[in-house]
Amino acid sequence: MHHANHFYGHAHVLAEYCGLDPDDPPRINGYLQHGWNVVDGLGAGTPYVSGRPIYVWSEQTRRRARSMGRRYATVVGAPFLYLLAFSEPAAETPREGTIYYPFHGWEGQHVAGDHQRLIDEILETEDGPVTFCLYWHEYQDLRTRRRYEQAGRVICHGYRGLRWQDTDTRFLHNQLAELRKHRRVASNRLSSAVLYGAAAGCEPAVYGNPMHLAGEVTTIAGRIRRQWPEFHAKFPDPAMATRSALNELGADVLASPSELRVTLGWPA
Amino acid sequence: MTNVRHLGGEMADWFDTEPAGGPAYGFLLEALRPLVPAGGRVLVAGPHEASVAGALRTYGEINWLVRSQPSLDETGVSVLCGTLAKLPDDEQYDLIVALDGVGRLCSVEGPQLDWAESVQVLSRSLKPGGALLLTVENELGVHRLVDSVTATAAHTDAGWNPIGEYDDSKPGTPDRLRDHFTAEGLTTGWLGTVWPLPSAPTLVIDEPRLKYGPAGALAAVAASVTAAAYATRPVLSDPRRLTASAIRGGIGVELAPAWLVLAFRGPSPAAVSLPAAVLHGGLLPPLPDGRLLEEMLIAACLRHDLPVLRRLLSKLVTVPTTADNVIVDGDRFIALNPSIVVEPPTAVQRFAETLIAGGYDHPWPHAESLTAVLQAAAGLTPDLSLTLPAPTPVREREEHIRRLEEQLADAATRIRYVENELVKRDAELRKARIQIDMFSGKVGYRISKFGMRAARAARRRLRNDS
Repeated sequence: MHHANHFYGHAHVLAEYCGLDPDDPPRINGYLQHGWNVVDGLGAGTPYVSGRPIYVWSEQTRRRARSMGRRYATVVGAPFLYLLAFSEPAAETPREGTIYYPFHGWEGQHVAGDHQRLIDEILETEDGPVTFCLYWHEYQDLRTRRRYEQAGRVICHGYRGLRWQDTDTRFLHNQLAELRKHRRVASNRLSSAVLYGAAAGCEPAVYGNPMHLAGEVTTIAGRIRRQWPEFHAKFPDPAMATRSALNELGADVLASPSELRVTLGWPA
Repeated sequence: MTNVRHLGGEMADWFDTEPAGGPAYGFLLEALRPLVPAGGRVLVAGPHEASVAGALRTYGEINWLVRSQPSLDETGVSVLCGTLAKLPDDEQYDLIVALDGVGRLCSVEGPQLDWAESVQVLSRSLKPGGALLLTVENELGVHRLVDSVTATAAHTDAGWNPIGEYDDSKPGTPDRLRDHFTAEGLTTGWLGTVWPLPSAPTLVIDEPRLKYGPAGALAAVAASVTAAAYATRPVLSDPRRLTASAIRGGIGVELAPAWLVLAFRGPSPAAVSLPAAVLHGGLLPPLPDGRLLEEMLIAACLRHDLPVLRRLLSKLVTVPTTADNVIVDGDRFIALNPSIVVEPPTAVQRFAETLIAGGYDHPWPHAESLTAVLQAAAGLTPDLSLTLPAPTPVREREEHIRRLEEQLADAATRIRYVENELVKRDAELRKARIQIDMFSGKVGYRISKFGMRAARAARRRLRNDS
């Protein structure tokens, strides 16, 4: 239905989980939540068509979506968890260091903040090697990328795609493989990546200058800190933060392949 | 031969439909035998099934008061044909049975006695120590609340005084009923609640059992007999919901369709004990104390609790019956009526029908086949071919119409969106075709195409400049 369903190869992961061709996922009968957010599960500016289901990650998001007029919000859980369910178990190699996701905006947004000050704070906090995972447009911006490369290893999981074009369908697979190499996952904002990291066995943490977008209203940031304090520290209690992360991703609500197929409107 | 005595005020060519009776009343009457001494007299007042008089015939002399000439030829029964006001006040009885209540004892002729006056006539006809078994219809009973027509509308020929709840003399609660009897010089010995219809109940539960018995199981049994009785009746809203929630919520006695009361003129004798609960023609078997599986499933749907819902659905398919027939007692899933056997996919479909018909919220509001999703959630292979029937109760139908209106509005919005998308895609396609032409066309074609575009662009520029 909507091209955002293909972002990060989400539709492809779900198709594989359902036993269908991951290279050619069938059309999803609605909108798949493609990132963690504190609204109705849809990305900002998504042209929502009334009456179509939004497939959200958690019951809490469903309640919020319903209160925002999305009558057909349906809970399915995060595609990342479905990937975890069918992917090969993690290798026995020991985890090391921290993977840090500096907050990114999407293409049209411009982060106002000082990358260097953030890097200094990260290096001061982390005692092991740090991998910086940049969003694709920052990764392509050589100036930003060089700055991070001076502080550690710099990677990018891929391009999320736009209007079904150039989607890196292995995005989540790459991300899972990277997360599993690290002992900690951190970011300057609570985001999907931190939650995924917790689900993949990393100790999560949210700290550092949140680098607000130019013109961004910061009340939401405050709300996030109040509602999810368990993530917001340099070294939060990993058990508590992980429990919360699994809740946000909908670990208790994942459907069987057969149920998921019927729910998404795919052939049974 | 029937012995008919005409009292006066009898109606010619009249026939009362739906007489009171049925196996539950029949079973209760058996317990009344000790109340009639040898050679005693029994009065059956009002329209009853012939079996009622038949069952009592062995107790003593049977007199049957009816307002019109009976069509049945009842051997061994004395028929008193006439209106209640003409009942001879010098004749008294050991037992009076009025399972149809007192509403159909007066004919169109003569005074129209209200409830209290009618009871007074019957009470006066009791010997000292005599017993009255009377059904009192509850004007606020479940059957009235779900009725699509009001009792005060004259819908049939019998409605010459459709007074309904406007008979102020009629008590509205069991307590007031008892008080009224006390004032009348009667002692209430036993009071039962009657389900699902006053005249032909299939379930009678006495007051203490309904108040203190296993509420979940009793609610389930009452809902189940209600479902059977209402299978073809048009209703305002689902009577099963009201029945079950009233009993679970502790107001089953207050919302029962009728009360069946056994009262004595004078003190209550110790010799008689009526059963605590009667189902069809026998005692209600002991019930497990638990919740109905269907109600637990509905609650999980309303809470959007997917883990619990999936667990319960996967349990449902292990018991070969419908969810409204299963009591959940801890980890035990017990069929209330083991004779109801259905295949697991059908059991899930029935539950889907209940959700749709009842307009209940559930976690898959967009699903085209709710049955298929529920079957998949239960671990079965989903059957997408099943369709659900439209609900019949008026309120649920309203909900159905509301949903259809929403869907229609949504469909219109969706069409607009899809058409927009189509326009965008067409533009992309046009662009792609031009590119394909450019790269696959012959050199001459490419040159002429470029030439044409350059010429067009030049013309546009010229126009803009001028």
